[in-house]
Amino acid sequence: MLPVVALTGIRKAFAATLALDDVSLALAPGVVHGVLGENGAGKSTLMHILFGLIQPDAGRIQVDGRPVVLASPAVARGLGIGLVHQHFCLSPSLTVLENLALAVGEGFGLVRRRDLLAQVAPAAAALGWEMPWDAPAGSLSVGGQQRLEILKALAGGGKVLILDEPTAVLAPQEAAELLRALRRLAATGMAVVFISHKLAEIESVCDEVTILRRGRLVHHGPLADLDRARLATLMVGPAAHPAIPPDPRPAGAQADIRLRFTGVSLTCEGQRLSDASFTVRAGEIVGVAGVDGNGQGALVDAALGLAAPTSGTVARSGNLGDRALAVIPGDRRREGLVTALSVRDNLLLKDRRRRPYARWGWLAPALWRRKAVRLIRRFDVRPADAGLPVAALSGGNQQKVVVARELDPRPRLVVAVNPTRGLDLAASAAVMDRLRAARAAGAGVLLVHSDLDELLEISDRILVCAAGRVSDSGWPATTRERIGRLMLDAASAIPTAVRPATVRPAAKPGDGAP
Amino acid sequence: MIPPRFHGVALAAGSAAGAVALAILGLWCAGFAPLAVITTWCAGAFGNGTRIALSLQEAGPLLLTGLATALAFRCGVLNVGGEGQFLAGAALFTAAALVLPVVGFALPLALGLGAAAGAAWAAIAAGLARWRGVPVVLSTILLNIIAVAVLGALVEGPLRDPATTAPQSALVADVFHLPVLVAGTRLHLGIVLAFVLAGVVWLVHERTSLGFEAKVIGLNPAAALRVGMPVAARQMQLLVASGAIAGLAGAAQVAGVTHFLSAATTSYGYAGIVVALLGRLHPVGIAAAALFMGLLDTGGRACEKQLGVPHELGDVVKGVMVLGVLIAAAWAARRSAAAHQGPADG
Repeated sequence: MLPVVALTGIRKAFAATLALDDVSLALAPGVVHGVLGENGAGKSTLMHILFGLIQPDAGRIQVDGRPVVLASPAVARGLGIGLVHQHFCLSPSLTVLENLALAVGEGFGLVRRRDLLAQVAPAAAALGWEMPWDAPAGSLSVGGQQRLEILKALAGGGKVLILDEPTAVLAPQEAAELLRALRRLAATGMAVVFISHKLAEIESVCDEVTILRRGRLVHHGPLADLDRARLATLMVGPAAHPAIPPDPRPAGAQADIRLRFTGVSLTCEGQRLSDASFTVRAGEIVGVAGVDGNGQGALVDAALGLAAPTSGTVARSGNLGDRALAVIPGDRRREGLVTALSVRDNLLLKDRRRRPYARWGWLAPALWRRKAVRLIRRFDVRPADAGLPVAALSGGNQQKVVVARELDPRPRLVVAVNPTRGLDLAASAAVMDRLRAARAAGAGVLLVHSDLDELLEISDRILVCAAGRVSDSGWPATTRERIGRLMLDAASAIPTAVRPATVRPAAKPGDGAP
Repeated sequence: MIPPRFHGVALAAGSAAGAVALAILGLWCAGFAPLAVITTWCAGAFGNGTRIALSLQEAGPLLLTGLATALAFRCGVLNVGGEGQFLAGAALFTAAALVLPVVGFALPLALGLGAAAGAAWAAIAAGLARWRGVPVVLSTILLNIIAVAVLGALVEGPLRDPATTAPQSALVADVFHLPVLVAGTRLHLGIVLAFVLAGVVWLVHERTSLGFEAKVIGLNPAAALRVGMPVAARQMQLLVASGAIAGLAGAAQVAGVTHFLSAATTSYGYAGIVVALLGRLHPVGIAAAALFMGLLDTGGRACEKQLGVPHELGDVVKGVMVLGVLIAAAWAARRSAAAHQGPADG
């Protein structure tokens, strides 16, 4: 059968990072198509291209067999492609129907209530949804708001519906109900794209899967051919590295404790961490693996003292601002740097009250400059100009500024979050080498990282954070496949099969695949 | 091409020039000859010594309230309560001057009390933000309204001069007057103090740990937190310091110009926001903006008197200038954000 939408040979680069490299995707009517991959694998970029939010650097897009240019979301919508974002875009004070009117209404055209209702009510009825048309959207439950988002995406005769991690915000029963609705949509001939990290959901709803890894297509085909272990392996990649970390530290068990969590529970910005207990000792790198949003944020904030645990205790060497505690935040531009200020000022953020850089509250600019020039040379920041605003540097060099500031003296504890995210290979290697050097110099390192390859390469031990719980993976005595399973399984206390055998789509999965 | 470090100056000057041009254009349409407006305005603003003194006298309180606003804005605290803090300073200064004994150090003491009153008025907003989470922009603007009401009650009640029927206090004694610099004018020592204070603020901004922390906190509080800056505490301290400067402005206005307190308010606190934004939160820029606004005011008053130009036009010019600065700044920020857009996460 002819695919509704076919993307062929899509390539997209952001600055030095190749987000998508020769990726193809074909969507057939009546098929639920799962897109899997780790964070940063390129899933969202691919969906944004499909919805016209981003233009690809190369590749072809065809809708109903005709080549098209998806110049904007409006063009994509006009061709029947709808996207439900991970975060809702509703006007909470307007009613359900008014929100739909906003989605349908074009320009200054008037929308009649009766016409609109005639247009959207059948879609809701087909999905078995009772929508409170005149209730304010803000009064709906999260699941109800998501239904409204789906109706918005369907309004105007959709042929393709993309859902970007739709179950992430839902309670288990709501998630199960959504999956049933997706099957019903597919039964009406719609092509559905379903993005999720949760293996159980993928298994219960999808007919076909596309697996991306670091911007490349690693698998495409019917789900029936794969078992769960194979899926997990495809997603996290083959063992590209020796099973034993290259630099084991047998003395670690006796060394000083630099960070200790004892039964720590807290909720922080919507993320929960429950009853976490672990230690980080001098001279070891403890990796924390996990799909983003499984409690790592709360773990890091508790480790840094930015959030107080509701129960349990955190003991740590040094406080924020001390030389003893080095922090490499996950979002360098928002949390690690003041991009409007110079490289020099950013390198000396922690020296602002420290002698000899400040005496009695007065700064010593000549000494600031000298230290900045020294750090720029040692950490190879380019261009080597202390006066340049950090905003003018590339991502890799911005990260070098953070690393130089934090690791320069001799920290006792390093807390690093996704330190190589968005960096090219050379810059990544440089950052990893600095972390190894810090370990060699006796620091305890807590490395929270969504890139499993890099974690396996550098960590002495690996903890897995899933659904707010922290467990020891047993690394290096275990396999990477087991770590992948730990990362995914805890998140899949979810729905049993929701796919009724009677509504299997007529199309054979795999049709229209390139 | 203009070197990047002067982009801000070009932005502000451009907005000011554009606003003035628009005002003249509007007046032309309303039937006023542009040349007459310009010459009358110039003569009124700086035509002779007395007019220059008058313009400087207007610039003094604007410079102080501008500095006060900038001190808070720079570290990310939207203190729009300069008006209330100004009035608190003026009121406590007057009260002190009416009861304190007439001794040598009475003037500095009373000025200090005025500054303390402004600080205390700002401290209410700081406390509400720290312990109750009330946004400073809301609490300070509401405290302005309360300050106006309290001022009215004071000049109707305890501070009222029994000798008059108007709602105003008695004149303060001569020892509570700031010395006049030029005989025959009201140009007083306060303007010099204001410029000295601008220099001090500049030093603090550029040369001290405190100023550096304030700048970092204003630009990126999340990063400031992660390098160990006490973000919330520092912001509240600077809010209180900002209130102190606004309070000092109010006290100096009574001590130097009016010599009594009345219910008629002058909006120097609000104008301080305009001055701070037009001066791009930089002490030198603020001094220039205060001088410009002083000239605008006195020149505008001459135009009103001699040509019948409505003085509200001056307010329109101020409004257009601020809009110009804000729009240009937002535009510049968006352009630099677009230039540094990174890869999408996914």
